[in-house]
Amino acid sequence: MKNKRIVWLLLRRNISAGQIAGYALANFIGLAIVLCAIQFYRDISAAWDSDGDSYITRDYMIISKEVSSLNTLGFGASTTFSKDEVEEISRQPWAMRVGEFSSSDFNVYASIELGGRGMSTYLFFESIPDEFFDVKPDGWFFDPENPVIPIILSKDYLALYNFGFAASRGMPQLSEGLISKVPLRIRMGNNGNYETYSARIVGFSSRLNTIAVPAGFLEWANARYAPGETHEPSRIMVEVNRPGDPAISEFLYSHGYESAGDKAESGKASFFLTLVTGIVIAVGAVISLLAFFILMLSIYLLLQKNRRKLHDLMLLGYSPMQVSRYYYALVGAVNTAVLLLAVATMLSASYWWSTRLDAIEVHSSGIWLTVIVGTVMMLLVTAGNFAAIYSTVKRNFRN
Amino acid sequence: MIERIILKNVLPAVFAGAENEPPVCDSQVWLQDVTFERGRHYLVEAESGTGKSSLCSFLYGNRSDYSGSIMFNDSDISRYGIDEWCDVRRHALAILPQEMRLFPELTAMENIMIKNRLTHHHSAEHIMGMLTALELGHKADVPAGHLSVGQQQRVAIVRALCQPFDFILLDEPVSHLDARNNVAVAELILTESVAQGAGIIATSVGNNISITPDKVLML
Repeated sequence: MKNKRIVWLLLRRNISAGQIAGYALANFIGLAIVLCAIQFYRDISAAWDSDGDSYITRDYMIISKEVSSLNTLGFGASTTFSKDEVEEISRQPWAMRVGEFSSSDFNVYASIELGGRGMSTYLFFESIPDEFFDVKPDGWFFDPENPVIPIILSKDYLALYNFGFAASRGMPQLSEGLISKVPLRIRMGNNGNYETYSARIVGFSSRLNTIAVPAGFLEWANARYAPGETHEPSRIMVEVNRPGDPAISEFLYSHGYESAGDKAESGKASFFLTLVTGIVIAVGAVISLLAFFILMLSIYLLLQKNRRKLHDLMLLGYSPMQVSRYYYALVGAVNTAVLLLAVATMLSASYWWSTRLDAIEVHSSGIWLTVIVGTVMMLLVTAGNFAAIYSTVKRNFRN
Repeated sequence: MIERIILKNVLPAVFAGAENEPPVCDSQVWLQDVTFERGRHYLVEAESGTGKSSLCSFLYGNRSDYSGSIMFNDSDISRYGIDEWCDVRRHALAILPQEMRLFPELTAMENIMIKNRLTHHHSAEHIMGMLTALELGHKADVPAGHLSVGQQQRVAIVRALCQPFDFILLDEPVSHLDARNNVAVAELILTESVAQGAGIIATSVGNNISITPDKVLML
């Protein structure tokens, strides 16, 4: 005779397989939705940490003031940022880092020789702290003893040249590698004090819409050719922590600022993804919560039906824990099965979309965090179940 | 170990306000000071409706709707918690409820083992021997629900004996038994009680168990 099974033989009666199955199904659906949403979000946002053109990335915004017709005529408010205004921007919760653009306060004239044909133009230089660059090319420094000016150009400028200017004028199209080898001559100065330097394009940025030189060089040149002049920045670069956050556009709108940035659209996409994931996780969590209550109700009904048996077991000397553990075993087994099934579903789904995401160079970020989240959720649910079982059994043990 | 069970001025709530009317005014238990001592045998005689099952329930911690106090040795049982009652019910106090309270879906043997697996007091062979002594050996594997009331009563008695006890409460233990089985049951209970030095508190509405009491109390 298997004595250990006697109590289970007694208590397992009245257990409704339908109710338990209903709970298991509902909890499985809820948990699977939560886990899939978490894993999908993690897989997609794995791109956050990778370099290069990711689809969702930390967002950099370039903020400037709106230029009105009055500004054109020389009236109107200043379009530069005062110290207070820069500080106000850096105080915003969405602003992680703020960098100021400095611009050249002297004349710059560049000439280039391409295939026997010369080209020359007036230019300007801007600089921004190095950590805001999306490229870190070799030779990004300026040595006054051996003056060669490194320049980073906007990718847009190269595209404009290659597909607009060069195509229509019969000029050769240039690759990034080739243009880096083309020597440039820069003539710059102020008030009759002009000097000529050689320069080199060392990289192209998709983030900065300007002609950028190292901050150290611009400081040196401004002191040399435009001493005594101090200028407030007219453009500010901000790294934002929540791309696409509506608070950013509200702030810009209320202050009359304009924004431009290489990732403005993907920033919105990222914000949207965060929002949608949040909603999906919430829906899954609500389903799980409802399932939790189904089980609670089922347990209460079961214990109610077994009230007399529980009371008789109490009279025989059984403790609430000795009786509860049979229900613990049942709930524990069901919950473990639900967790395993939900994780398996998440893995299959993750496999399904990762084969598609690989095509756009987004790689899975690993499943362990998701599995841990699922396990913790299930442990919490199980702990809640156990506590309810124990307190109900104990209540039946009272006189 | 419970050496003494002491009742002080105990009155079931249902008799509150009827203190000067029968059966309370004639009772040798209600509103009296009564002491049951370990090793002695008591018979509580009562008519139907005088509260004898209530007395057993009070003593077993199953009900607490009474006034006055009940003490095990020096401690008031109204202060016992669930753990203490579990301990008392496994090691100190055995009971045969009037309504038996067997689980009808379990066999006679399973009904006994569900108690014995808690206490490990007897071997399966010893239990089988007790069942045989009560002419129930052949019914061991029959669901309790299929047994006659008399057979159920004997199974419940064997179950009650499957634990160490200082006192055994027998609520009308032989109400459904014939004279022969009355003697067999009495012998079994007496043997077990004497071996443990335990006290016996039996109630009866007329059909007394064949154990000579040291004291008879009218409820």
